[in-house]
Amino acid sequence: MSTKGANLKSDWHLIGSSMRKIEGLAKSTGRAVYTDDVTFPGMLHGKILRSPHPHARIVAIDTSRAEQLDGVQAVITGRDLPIQYGIIPWTPDEYPLCVDRVRYIGDGVAAVAAVDEDTANEALALIEVEYEELPAFFDPHDAERADGSTPYVHDARKDGWNGNITKMVKLEFGDIEGGMDSADVVVEGDYFFEGTTHAPIEPHCAIGQWDGVGKLTVWSATQVPHYLHRELARVLELDQAQVRVRQPLVGGAFGGKSEPFDLEFCVAKLAMMTGRPVKILYTREEVFYSHRGRHPFHMHYRTGATADGRLTSVDAKILLDGGAYASFGLVTTYYSGQLLCAPYDMPAYRFDSTRVYTNKPACGPKRGHGSVQPRFAFEVQIDKLAEHVELDPIEFRRRNFIGEHTKTVNELRVTSNGFLECLSSVEAASGWSEKFRNMPFGRGIGIAGSTYISGTNYPIYPNEMPQSAVQMQIDRSGRVAVFSGASEIGQGCDSVVAYIAAEELGVPLEWVRVLRGDTDFTPVDLGAYSSRVTFMLGNAAIDAATRLKKLVQSSVAKAWDVKPSEVLLAGGAALWAHDTGRQMSIVEAFHLAEAEHGTLGATGWYNTPKDVHGEYRGGTIGASPAYSFTSHVAEVEVDIDTGFVDVKKIWIAHDCGRALNPVLVEGQMEGSAYMGAAEAIMEEHVFKDGDHGRAGLHNAPSLLDYRIPTSLDTPELQSLIVESIDPEGPYGAKEAGEGPLHPSIPAIANAIYDAIGVRMDRLPFTPPNVWRAIQRAREAGTLAKPSAPANATANPPLSETVQAD
Amino acid sequence: MLRLPPYQYHRPGSVAEAVALMAEHGDDAMYVSGGTDLVPNMKHRLFEPGHLIALKGIDELKGIEELPGENGDGGVLRIGAAETLTAVSAKPHVRELFPALAEAAAHVAGPQLRNAGTIGGNVCLDTRCTYYNQTHFWREALGFCLKKDGEVCHVTRTGKKCVAAHSADTPPVLMTLGASAVLTGPSGSREVLISEFFVADGIVNTRRATDEILTEIRIPLASATRRQAYMKLRQRKSIDFPLLTVAVAADLDENDAVRTIDGVVTGLGSRPRALSKWAEVAAGRTLDDALIDELSERAYKQCHPLENIIVDPEWRRAMVPVYVRRALEHVAGA
Amino acid sequence: MSKTTSIARLRVNGDLREVGVPTHYTLLETLRYVLALTGTKQGCDKGDCGACTVIVDGAPTLSCLTPVWEAEDRDIITVEGLAGPDGPHPLQDEFDLNGAAQCGFCTPGILCSAAALLARTSSPTRNEIQEALAGNLCRCTGYAKIYDAVESAGRRLSVSKEATG
Repeated sequence: MSTKGANLKSDWHLIGSSMRKIEGLAKSTGRAVYTDDVTFPGMLHGKILRSPHPHARIVAIDTSRAEQLDGVQAVITGRDLPIQYGIIPWTPDEYPLCVDRVRYIGDGVAAVAAVDEDTANEALALIEVEYEELPAFFDPHDAERADGSTPYVHDARKDGWNGNITKMVKLEFGDIEGGMDSADVVVEGDYFFEGTTHAPIEPHCAIGQWDGVGKLTVWSATQVPHYLHRELARVLELDQAQVRVRQPLVGGAFGGKSEPFDLEFCVAKLAMMTGRPVKILYTREEVFYSHRGRHPFHMHYRTGATADGRLTSVDAKILLDGGAYASFGLVTTYYSGQLLCAPYDMPAYRFDSTRVYTNKPACGPKRGHGSVQPRFAFEVQIDKLAEHVELDPIEFRRRNFIGEHTKTVNELRVTSNGFLECLSSVEAASGWSEKFRNMPFGRGIGIAGSTYISGTNYPIYPNEMPQSAVQMQIDRSGRVAVFSGASEIGQGCDSVVAYIAAEELGVPLEWVRVLRGDTDFTPVDLGAYSSRVTFMLGNAAIDAATRLKKLVQSSVAKAWDVKPSEVLLAGGAALWAHDTGRQMSIVEAFHLAEAEHGTLGATGWYNTPKDVHGEYRGGTIGASPAYSFTSHVAEVEVDIDTGFVDVKKIWIAHDCGRALNPVLVEGQMEGSAYMGAAEAIMEEHVFKDGDHGRAGLHNAPSLLDYRIPTSLDTPELQSLIVESIDPEGPYGAKEAGEGPLHPSIPAIANAIYDAIGVRMDRLPFTPPNVWRAIQRAREAGTLAKPSAPANATANPPLSETVQAD
Repeated sequence: MLRLPPYQYHRPGSVAEAVALMAEHGDDAMYVSGGTDLVPNMKHRLFEPGHLIALKGIDELKGIEELPGENGDGGVLRIGAAETLTAVSAKPHVRELFPALAEAAAHVAGPQLRNAGTIGGNVCLDTRCTYYNQTHFWREALGFCLKKDGEVCHVTRTGKKCVAAHSADTPPVLMTLGASAVLTGPSGSREVLISEFFVADGIVNTRRATDEILTEIRIPLASATRRQAYMKLRQRKSIDFPLLTVAVAADLDENDAVRTIDGVVTGLGSRPRALSKWAEVAAGRTLDDALIDELSERAYKQCHPLENIIVDPEWRRAMVPVYVRRALEHVAGA
Repeated sequence: MSKTTSIARLRVNGDLREVGVPTHYTLLETLRYVLALTGTKQGCDKGDCGACTVIVDGAPTLSCLTPVWEAEDRDIITVEGLAGPDGPHPLQDEFDLNGAAQCGFCTPGILCSAAALLARTSSPTRNEIQEALAGNLCRCTGYAKIYDAVESAGRRLSVSKEATG
């Protein structure tokens, strides 16, 4: 397959240059509309009653007093919505409201709609729920070992099975033990990745509206309007044609809004019962309970390498703490292993991953789904191996580079691969060769690399239809309307389709109007997850625009009596390639085409390759049309008296294939690196235990105590864009939204080691945790600058620099 | 959205009017100044007053100025209680005379909160605890606690005493400067030293009666000659409450020998702790490494953080000598 | 305590508005749900995130912690009030040009904090910008492009001041 769109950068007028976002000024002037900004006359406000117990049977619910409260219009419980749902079609295990059992503190049990929020809150207090408390599971190891003597978090699907186990995946590629045997050094270690949550600044919000005769409309701050559409229809027992999902702008998501949530079903049901619009806006506390954030991972890695620094074998065992529901857990369990096999060549690889249920808010996908945790462990393993074989860790990574247009050990097809350029970019920009093992004690520098998918080749529910599509039409003033079902969550996907339409059709960017966020009139895009949107939507937009362009070219060509391929559309004009003095306005060209071909409109779509994965169970999971590659260098200063790690700067080199708009790509790189650094040094989504208040109670469900970095806590960030030009990406583009998060964490861990000789194998690197590690190192006499590798100068660093701007 | 309970808001024009409003509404009323702590606490249903009596618009509670001394004392800097923390931190007068106070005020929470929060409010800040500063739903799931609605302290796991942490930035500095607070109530005004203002009770940790208004802070101008330092431990460089604060003030003679020295730490228990037995070891000695070591070690022995704040108490304890040392080094080097 | 409603007199973005408001409403609830000025956002419920920041008498203020009555007789500027008849405030334009708004949800609050800063000084240092924005959480950008936007806007304001001054 050839690169979509034109091939030479110089051919383009817009692509590759810095452009405004189409909704940018609306966002900076306060005109942008988010879900909670939408109100309707007569709108009711809903609230959800939540379980105060981590695990309990619901014995009885009495809603009569709430129903009688003045201003209350409807009260529902789990019995009103008795159909289970779940984002993964094979693991539906949630009810919109719990029917007979609650599984975490915060699980929803009833909902009310009332004239205002205060009345709804009063009504909640009048609902009486009788619970029978059950023993609960909080530790994933306990959940894994459970023998059924107390009720599992979910009933076992078969007799004799452990109902706490969501998913087990064991996959093995190549000769693991042979690889270990042939290694000159084997490094083995335990790693722990504490859970973290997305914390978008916009809390979840949804509005339901029922027209009284069969049409349900739900507005929601969701990343997945299409899946929401399907699940609403299924759970509410409506035909999909009766359901319309509208998606206002989304105020951040990061994976935290990528499946249906209780509030969406509740506003729908309450609207259908009352005939009035109903809104539910989560409190910040509820956002923490809805969670679906990064799973805590307990990981064990064994990694072998030869004396000259070649990986021989990798063996991983991982326990995932899933929380109370499956969410995307089936995928997470696969991703925990499947996405590790690049950018390094591994002759042999095995992973054995188990996800268990516990009585805590459900974990799910967070930016870099399933692969951020193992990447942390593995990149620290590599740092340790490099030290053992006395190689500079950048050189070690170079030696194991998997190459481009190749296959990983688990049979994923890799196309373009700019990882080596990423390494040399951060190496040069950071001054690596002068700094590594060479700064004063307390100051350090670390490197890490990673890969990530540009979407998944297989959709969440099996089907052969396109993963993304747009419709474009041109009106008689030359304006282009693009109907896009993609989810604008801040990453700029609405702008991407506009850039492409303007580029291909030769109109000014301001002439493109993107009509979006409405399942009634936009073609399906599967959603903003797995970093799929630019790749798939971009290709769909090129497809649609190219169809229109051909019509215009042919009509102009006919008028000029030239070949259609000689007609260029650019800068608001149609031009003859051989003499650009010969031109007509683009509006005139559009009129010619409309006269000849009829009203100008086209659909365009993209579907993924389905033949580029391994023929084994699970071999399709992790398969992507293209992979991005990233490398970070982090520089830190460690205060050994307090344990504070000050991340001074992160250099981020990311192979995004082609930067369609460098400003947006840099924004994704910087935002990712920030979020990774935050997870490294600050964030922990944790719960009280029996010795501290009450087991299973969220430690601190607020943005005061779940600390995310302020401006003063965020490191300096420098973006270094690497363009490998992918053969299948739109203009060669790949993803940029999630990959650049991965290396932050291990790069910081490796930098801490360089600074003070202390390995941080457990996250987060908060001051108390680092201080304790320093105390242990002090006692062991190992608190010191590590020595420089003997072979560090064998391969002088490349001097090539890639500039961000 | 997390909602406020219903209340009536009163904006009296004078202290007398405010006191009269309090007399009228009694237990159903509370004074509010910046509201930066009370409003979230009300949203958490920790307080549900039917009447809020606003102090911020009262002119008598404004102003930062020197008052001349009476009867031979050296005068005071008067800071009206309703002056915002931003004003206190930015006022050149405060910065010159009492730099540690300006620093402490500049380190409270974040910029917007300092624009609203007042010095009076900071001195009267309610104690904080991981089991207390939570929503009603959360506290109900916990089974409530001794400080509010419950019978057990989840920190000490007994029902005897609330150990919620004093978490304000400015009082430790004010204590080392010998400052006092003026309280005005139905029966007139009284002046209380800040060092005597707090009591070791997490439920209500000040000597202010609920019907009294803290109207002003008075800092002896004589304290301006003291060398001062303020250090704050928190995980983020903004927004966070202190995990530990240290204030130190010292008088050194012309040979840099200590005449007097005071240290106060807070963020540990229910009231700021004045570090004891410093003067006896320090008097007459140079504030050198050895003395700093000794004083830091004394501080460490006196401080025993509890799990009232969610951050590792063992680490917080270990940070006491580190931050005391840094404060003393600042004083020694100033 | 039962709910009651009173008339609030607010000067918002230059307009004097008199509106009936339940007495326990915050300024944020009044702006968003009574005056339909939905540009100001709500993120954390209780003063932890800065999304609800508006400018009250020149000072960035958390509208979610401000009882609406405390805002009477003051000059309130919201994100909707930053733009003038000639177009967006330079900050608003620079936020767009620099990609400083991704999801855009923290943006109105950040703009208010930044506008108040630039009203004090049009050439702030990067550290002054960081300090001024230290009460506004952004989850998308890593703040880098926000600093660029504030600096660029400051330069534009300096130039226009010189031109008119």
